[in-house]
Amino acid sequence: MLQNKGFRFFSITTVCIWLGVFALLPNMALFLVSFLDRTDTSFFIPVLTLDNYLRLFAPAFIRILLKSLALACVSTLTCLILGYPFAYLLARSNRRVRPWLFLLVIIPFWTNSLVRTYAIFTILQNNGVLNTLFNRLGLVEGNFSLMYTNFSVFMGLTYTLLPFMILPLYASIEKLNLRLLEAAKDLGAGPVRSFLHVTLPLTLPGIAAGSILVFLPSLSLFYVPEILGGINYRLLGSFIQYNFSKGANWPVGAAASTVLTLLLLLMAVFYRLAGRNEREGGAAALSAPGGQTAPARVERG
Amino acid sequence: MKRALSLLTVLLLTALFLPPSVPALAAGKVIIYNWSEYIPDDVLEAFTKETGIEVVYTTYESNESMHDKLLIQKGRGYDLVCPSTYFIPQMIKEGLALKIDKKRIPNLKNVDPKLLNQEFDPDNRYSIPYMWGNYGLIFNSALVKNAVTSWNDLLRPEFKGKIMLYDDPRMTMGIALLATGASLNSTKESEIRAAYEFLLKLRDPKNVFDVTAAKNVMVNNHSVIGGIWNGDAQVAMDENSDLVYIYPKEGVPLWMDSFVIPSGADNVDNAYAFINFMLRPEMALRSVEEYRYSSPNLGTLELMDKKMRESRLLNPTADDLRNAVMLNGVGEAKALYDLYWEKFITDAK
Repeated sequence: MLQNKGFRFFSITTVCIWLGVFALLPNMALFLVSFLDRTDTSFFIPVLTLDNYLRLFAPAFIRILLKSLALACVSTLTCLILGYPFAYLLARSNRRVRPWLFLLVIIPFWTNSLVRTYAIFTILQNNGVLNTLFNRLGLVEGNFSLMYTNFSVFMGLTYTLLPFMILPLYASIEKLNLRLLEAAKDLGAGPVRSFLHVTLPLTLPGIAAGSILVFLPSLSLFYVPEILGGINYRLLGSFIQYNFSKGANWPVGAAASTVLTLLLLLMAVFYRLAGRNEREGGAAALSAPGGQTAPARVERG
Repeated sequence: MKRALSLLTVLLLTALFLPPSVPALAAGKVIIYNWSEYIPDDVLEAFTKETGIEVVYTTYESNESMHDKLLIQKGRGYDLVCPSTYFIPQMIKEGLALKIDKKRIPNLKNVDPKLLNQEFDPDNRYSIPYMWGNYGLIFNSALVKNAVTSWNDLLRPEFKGKIMLYDDPRMTMGIALLATGASLNSTKESEIRAAYEFLLKLRDPKNVFDVTAAKNVMVNNHSVIGGIWNGDAQVAMDENSDLVYIYPKEGVPLWMDSFVIPSGADNVDNAYAFINFMLRPEMALRSVEEYRYSSPNLGTLELMDKKMRESRLLNPTADDLRNAVMLNGVGEAKALYDLYWEKFITDAK
């Protein structure tokens, strides 16, 4: 028992120190730097200013932010639409097939994502894999390139982040109590209705977790839009990266990064609300119009 | 338990505030911080074999990241770096560069005097040239019918959406300055603004501004014309024989990377030994063969085969470089370059 306590103390302390040193401290430092001034020879000087945030109100930055948010939304939605059926299939598949389906999700992680991004480049470019294939099939004549477009950036983000949508979705669909679906069927709900009123509300936490895991990286992954979109796709992540490297303006980079952190916090709040919704919404679904609440209560026991 | 915890905390805090580099590294080492793919492995091995000095080789992708790291570490941590011309004045000013004792580099006699004593470091008090090159015009002769002779030809309507330039402010702003008749190292805001306006006319979603993809988009005909380093051009031309490299009449930007010993270097003697070794004609030639940039080492000319010696990419004639200018630091005006480059990138519709 005592040993157990010691182990718990040790592991919790380790994690706390780890997070403190490698997450909390750097973020605090970033937050601090975002309010500091700079000179040509120092990355920051101890002079307080709000200029860095005011600079973020420039139309150029607003445009970057809106473009980033739009691309992130579209990528997240696409990942959800593609990922949900697959996660469902994965969770409902028979035990012998499941490891193989899982393997399909995991395999891309065996290759560095930078390498995979360059692979997309060779597929989409002029005379690339897709171009050659379409020519051979006689679908198009001549050269075309999908590189440096909305499509190439969107495809890169969606491809890279899809697994991060599937895994949390799988976890929450797998947890789903099948007897609830049977109950819905017994009570006369069709497949669409039982999906909308039972499955969807109960898997909402998975949807929220997956969406956050896709949405945030698609704002901050700087190399994907840079390689596949070029200079026209300087998104939020590249903006931060540029200010910390070539732009040599740490305070502005830190301010932009703080904005990103605020977005993260907002989403954490959203996630909590979704979690609460599930608890209430789940019950609500079962007491939906015409439904009888009694069996559900028994079910939830 | 509490004591163990406080001990751990103290240890961690001490670790946090320790200087980033541990001084007094074992003798017999040289820590090189250089561009990636810039010194062939076999050259490094030959150096270690001959001198017994171990080479620790780390790389950077931009002058900025090298400079920032040195600045944070107050010039410590590395024995040799290789900045571009226009970064050297700044590094000297910030006290990041060690004054060089030329007597310790006898092989300096091999270096082309035309490339010594440049404006960025008069009398080479802090830097020794390693590689140089130029940023010229490449085009696809199969897809470009009318003659191309000038940077201003990029404005022709036929090239709309078919242009490739680097996402490097000094190179790309540089050719725009040359095209608009200004000096490559201009510090006048009106000229820098005019260059920015020239570049805005080239801002098309299909045009590529990307140094890493440069060779690829030229080889695959995504772009048909653009600005490119001579070394990249040679690699692209080997793969696509339609590509042609020319020196536009307004001139080309010249770049050069030079060895600099950081002011806080621990193994200064070994750094000298390494520089001297690299200035041997055979070693300089290996770098040329591998990376296709020009060498300031005159000794390499005798060792080159005829094809290499006569390549106008590697060894441009005096006429090719008629209006060529070496990139130099622009001092305070760097902020203007950054400002207009930033505007150029973000002002797109």
